[in-house]
Parts: sequence; structure tokens; C-alpha cells
Amino acid sequence: MSIAGRLYSGNPGFDFRRAWGKALIISVVLVAICVASLAIRGLELGIDFEGGGVWEVPSADLSVEETRDALRPIDRHDARIQELTSAAGSRTIRVQAGVDAVDDSDEIVGALAEAAGTSPDQVSINTVGPTWGDEITGAAERALIYFFIAIAAYLSIRLEWRMAAGALVAVVHDIAVTVGVYSLFQFTVTPATVIAFLTILGYSLYDTVVVFDKVKESTHLVGTSTKMTYTDMANYATNEVFMRSVNTTITSLLPIVSILLVGSLLLGATTLQEFGIALAIGLAVGAYSSLFVAVPAVTWLKERESQFAEISRKLGGNRSTPVEATEVAGMASAGRKAARDDAKTARQSRTSSSPDRAGPAAPTPRVTPTLTHPPRPRKKGKRR
Amino acid sequence: MRRQELVPLLAIVIVTAAALIYTFAAGNQPLLGLDLQGGVSVVLQPTDPASDEDLDQSINIMRRRVDALGVAEPEVARQGDTIIVQLPGVDEPQRALDLIGQTAELRFRPVLEEVGPDVELTEPEDDIAEDEVVLAGDDSVGVERHYRMGPTALTGSGISGAEALYNQQALEWLVQVDLKSGAEGIEPFNELASACFARQPQCPTGQLGIVLDGAVISAPVFQEPQFDDAVTITGNFDQEGAQDLALVLRFGALPVELETQQTQTVSATIGRDALDAGIVAGLVGVVLVAIYMIAYYRLLGIVAMLSLGVSFALLWSIISWLGEAQGLALTLAGVTGLIVAVGVSVDSNVVYFENVKEDVREGRPVRSSVERSFKTAFSTIVKADVTTLIGAGLLYWLTIGPVRGFALYLGLATILDLIVSYYLMRPFVIGLGRSHRLRGRPGWLGIPATEPVAGAAPSVREPATLGGGR
Repeated sequence: MSIAGRLYSGNPGFDFRRAWGKALIISVVLVAICVASLAIRGLELGIDFEGGGVWEVPSADLSVEETRDALRPIDRHDARIQELTSAAGSRTIRVQAGVDAVDDSDEIVGALAEAAGTSPDQVSINTVGPTWGDEITGAAERALIYFFIAIAAYLSIRLEWRMAAGALVAVVHDIAVTVGVYSLFQFTVTPATVIAFLTILGYSLYDTVVVFDKVKESTHLVGTSTKMTYTDMANYATNEVFMRSVNTTITSLLPIVSILLVGSLLLGATTLQEFGIALAIGLAVGAYSSLFVAVPAVTWLKERESQFAEISRKLGGNRSTPVEATEVAGMASAGRKAARDDAKTARQSRTSSSPDRAGPAAPTPRVTPTLTHPPRPRKKGKRR
Repeated sequence: MRRQELVPLLAIVIVTAAALIYTFAAGNQPLLGLDLQGGVSVVLQPTDPASDEDLDQSINIMRRRVDALGVAEPEVARQGDTIIVQLPGVDEPQRALDLIGQTAELRFRPVLEEVGPDVELTEPEDDIAEDEVVLAGDDSVGVERHYRMGPTALTGSGISGAEALYNQQALEWLVQVDLKSGAEGIEPFNELASACFARQPQCPTGQLGIVLDGAVISAPVFQEPQFDDAVTITGNFDQEGAQDLALVLRFGALPVELETQQTQTVSATIGRDALDAGIVAGLVGVVLVAIYMIAYYRLLGIVAMLSLGVSFALLWSIISWLGEAQGLALTLAGVTGLIVAVGVSVDSNVVYFENVKEDVREGRPVRSSVERSFKTAFSTIVKADVTTLIGAGLLYWLTIGPVRGFALYLGLATILDLIVSYYLMRPFVIGLGRSHRLRGRPGWLGIPATEPVAGAAPSVREPATLGGGR
């Protein structure tokens, strides 16, 4: 079956175990780059954090140069002046200056209004004192710490502490990468960005919880009778949940892509867009980390648990040639559906060309020697 | 459809319809934040640590000042140690800001002389009530004048009320100030009045300097030596000037000195643009999601969109109600929260549908898959949604500014997602799963069931062995 077909059917049959090693390298490199960038370049903080002011005046024809000239008499010509144009054709001139300009706000408004030939009411002003940013940052940091504690507690209760740990590792990874991208490209960090970071936390966790729930549900598959180690099972569960992750990410990304598009086309570089960039990056990273960071982290922890370590040892520990993914999926299905062969044969007779129940004519995939003696499912493998 | 599906389905349809009818009948509409309709927002912080009492009192005074301005839906609120003033739709932001922010003590000082503009002004930190000071003020035509003034005779605490009046005979605006009786008000004032009226050395100009926040707001001349309990201040006021002065005098000074941390003025045009962009972004997002969901899940995709529609209708009713009854405004951050919530809501559908597909893939008929899968899926949805709710709740309690609005609407949308998943998505999908017309056409539900999956094949091959294992 084609890749698309397997994806559509919901079981891509990937061998995630092979990818985990590469993912670890990629993630470590990514996070290292991001941390290095943060340390060296730092973040471009917006006026809400640094203090300063932004003045915006709508004007159809005022140029950046004219604005600069208009600000010259009040010694503000060194301010950052931008022109924002929307698809609808409306233009806005935006002037941004540091905290020392806040006291001259009235003069700047006057100069802008005059240059644009409009009334001062049309000038939008946003000035921020130097200490306000500390307040916001402090509140955000506090919220973040409590958030981590609360989530860790909740996931420990509903799932287990190893999964809580895995989820937090994934979330920290996502935040590090997203913040790193902001640092690398020197995008301005605004309160909207902070909101976006917080949303990413939510999304990343949501996705991770969905994946973990599947892993937990499949844990009963691990055993010597099913010839499945915890790692095999995790791989199987990840396959099962893969399309869910892909689809939830796509459906979450679509509105955000539209925020980005509309934000840049209709509004110029403003709140919506600042928000969109962080979200788009964070979402993509969040989906990746649920599958490639959170799951291997939990697997690593679980394989160190005595019962699972024992199973791995009995099954040959780190097998040099990992079992084919499709095979594992098959084993897993077998294990889970021990009690459901009736339904299966019924379907089989419906769908296969031969109605003969005893003669399974279904095309069989490559079968490796490990499967020549079909695994005996554990009885408690029934789904609850 | 059976009763156990029909009842919740009917219930949520009725509730939604009732909510919408109520919203329209009551004329409820979302209250737009000032970043969406234009207006002013200021964050003020005490310069020195202030007690809770002082802050609350400041808020009361500011609230009365704001109310007197006639702003629709003003908001003066405390957040931690800061005060946030939101004035949506204000025409003259600067005037409003000046009026609200006037914080320093109100003082009546005798004017010793008017000095030239070259005389240096007293620095704010040297502006002590008992000392002689040189302060500046604009006269009625906007020319800056410098006044040398004597020690304070009376502060704003001596005033019991003030009102702007129009004098029909003189055709001018004046401010009538009511003073408290006795030593707290009228006595020291009359002492100053007689001294000024007689042009005594402590008040040679006969002028009373009304000083607020270190600036001379007005310097009227005493026309009488004695007053009963009310003083009339005239001085070429226009209507606005008289009303503003009366406001300041009436409500007195704030008990703490406040420093502006952040001011944000959004012009109506820019606010409108932001709102439009938010709406367009939301619509485009929903359309994109709808196309994807229907392409991938067919009929189930339509169910997802119905869920989204019902969620949105309920959310709209709640937001409108919050706006009308609680004065809670929808800000741009809130709008983004809502757009993001579209993703969250659709996610729950995906979790369920993929569970159904998985069950069908394992050989279960669609009919029973939809029921079984819901239990597993809903447990996942609850876990994931509770995680989001914990986040939203903490953000709401612990943060300030725009993050709160975002957290509130995200949290609301998440709760609605749980309700709609259970009362709408579940009965709908189970009903579809049972439908006779759909039997044998799983493709309509986006379920490819005609061909066994590669991974599932070995298990299909083994029924005999597996059966033996039972």
C-alpha cells in the first residue's frame, strides 16, 4: 500500500525506534543552537518589556523620510520609522522610540498629526514605562512555574510520573526551540508573543497527553508472550496515534496560518502576526516533540523499570535488527484482538474475494522468522 | 436514533437555540475592548508602596472622575499593585488621561506676584506646602505664566463639593466651590480671602492660586473679603475647562501619587482594522479547517463543523452576556484565543474519529466501534482538556494585562468543547454509525475498510490460532 494509503488508513507502519536516535541528535543540536543564540544574541524585547513608545498614524501618502523630517525639530528623527501597508491599501506610519521618548509623547503626536495632515485623535499611542516590563515578566515567570508544577501533578495522577516527566521535557524542548527561533531571527518579543508561548505549552501538552494515553492503554501488550518490549509497544502506539497527531496539528495550524496570512496582508506587522509566527513554529515543534521527544523519554525511563527491563532481557535486549514495524503492529493487533476473531472473520469474508472462512486468502506481508510461530496473546490482553 | 442519543442531542440544540434567542432578544453584543474599537488604556502604579486602602480609595476617586467624563463602559480596576484604567471609545484621550491621572495634592496658595518666563520654576521635589514656590500655569489663551506664590492656606481636603455653572448675565462659565465649615475649610480660606482682598503683604496681587500637581490651574482674583460657605471662581473658562476644574475639585486628590506605567491610545480606525482582521482570520481559518476535515473525514467532518458551530453559538452568547452583565470586554488577545480555540475544539473530533477508524481497522463493525471508541476517546479528551484548563486557569489568576483575556476565552472554549463533545458529537456520530444507509459505505465516514491494512494482515491470518488461545 502506498504511503498515502497507509496514512489515510491510520496506520503508517513506521519504525519510530530508528528515528528516535536521529531525533535525539536533531533535538540536542537544535536546543544547543537555541540556547547559544539566546546567550549570545539574546532576545529582541518589545517596548512592553523595555519601556518606550509606539506611535501610529494612518496616512495615504506620508513617507518615512517626510516623517523623519517632521520629527527633526523635536529631535526624534533617530526613532525607528516603519511603513505598514495592508492589502486593502490603507497605510500606517509607525514610529518607535525608546523609553526617553515617552515624556515627549505629546510633541511626537503633534508632529505626526501635522505631517499626516490629520487630527491628533487619529494618532494611536502606546507608551510604556521602564518598570512595567518587569511586572509582566515577573507575572509570566510566576505563572510558568506554577503551571509546570500543576501539570506535573495532574499528569502524575492521571497517567504516571514518568509520563509527567516526559511531557515536561517535551514542553521545555518546545519552548526552548521557539524562543530560540525568536532569538536567531531577532523577532520582537511582545506580550502577544508571550501569549503565544503559553498557547504552545497548551498545545504541546494536549498532543503529548493524547499520545501518552495511547501508550498507557497499550502497555498491557508488553510481555514475553507477545514478544513485545516496552520499546516495541511504544513504537506500535506511536504508529496508532500518528495520524491523530498529524491531523490535530494540521487542524490547529490552519487557523494560525490564516492568522499569519490575514495578519500580514491586511494589517501589516502587528499583533496578529507576532502571535502567528510563534504559534506556527511552536505547533510544528510541539507535534514533533510529542512523538520524538516525549515518547522516547518515557520509553527510556520505563525500560529501566525492573519488570520491563526483564522482558527486554528475555526477548534479547537490544536486538541488533529491530523487528519490522508492520510486524509489531500486527503482533499488537493480534494481542489486543484475541477475543475478537469472530468480528474479524466476518469482515474478512465480506471483504476478501474468497468467502471461505477457513482459507485466509488475504495478502500477507513480509513475514520475518520471528513470526512463524504466531504469538500467543495474553488473556488479560482484552481491552477494558 | 435511540433515546439515549436523542435526548442529549435535543437538549443541546434547545439550550443553544435558547441562548441565541436570549442573546438576540436582550440585544446582547460582545463588548469590544479598546484595542478593537479605539480608546485609551493606562496602567498606573504608586510611586511609593501604597496600602490596599489607599489603592482602593484612589480607584474610587478615579472611577468617579471617569464616570463624570461620561465615558461608556469605563473600567478602573486593580491588578496586583497597579491600577488599570480602560476608556473605550474616548474622543479626546489626552484630556481624559490628564484628568484621571491628576494625583498630587490640591493646594490653595496666595499669588505673590507674576514673574517673567525667565524666572526659574521650583523643582517638583522642592514644591513643599509651607514654602514659597514659583510655579507655572497656562492662562485661558494658552500662554504659560509663572507665578511666585506663598505658603499653602488650604488643601483639597477642605472642599466638600464643586460644580461648573453658566452665568447667564455675564455670559461666562464659572466654578462654584463648596467649602467645609470651621477650621477645616472656610476659616483658613476666609483668612486668606481677607488678606488678599486688602492686598496685604502676604497676598499683594489679590489672586488665589489653585495648584494641582505642581501646576497652577487657575489664579482668580478675590472679589470679596468674606465667604459664607461657597466660593465662585471665574476666569475666562470655557465649558470644558470649567467642568474639568469642578471635577478635580469635587473629587479631590488621590491619596497616593501614581506613576504612569503604560498608556495605550488606539484610534478608532486602527481598532476597527484590527477587529476586521481578526474576523477575517477567524473565518478563513474555519473555512480551511472545514475543507480539510470534510475531505479527510467526510460526513464525520461535517459533524465536526456542526460541533464547532454549536460551540461558537454558545460562546457568542456567553461573551455577549459577559460584556453586557459583567462589563468584560473582548480584546484582540481574546479574539486570538478564540481562533486558537477552533483548533482545540476540532482536535477533540479528530481524537474520536481516529479512534473509530482504529477500531474498524481492527475488524470491528462501524456500528459498535463508534460506541466503544467514544469511551476511550472521551477519556483522552478529558485529560487533554483538563490540561488546557489548568493552564488557562493559572494564566487567568497569575497574569496581568492581555494574557488574562486570552486565558479566559481559551478556558471558556475548552469547557464548551467538553460539553459539545459529549452532548453533540457523541450522539451524532453514534447515530451515523447506526444508520442503515451508511452500512457498507464506511467511505462516507472517511473509513477505508475495503482492504486490510498491511500491518493488520498477520493478525487476520491467524484467527484459528488466536481462537485457540482463548
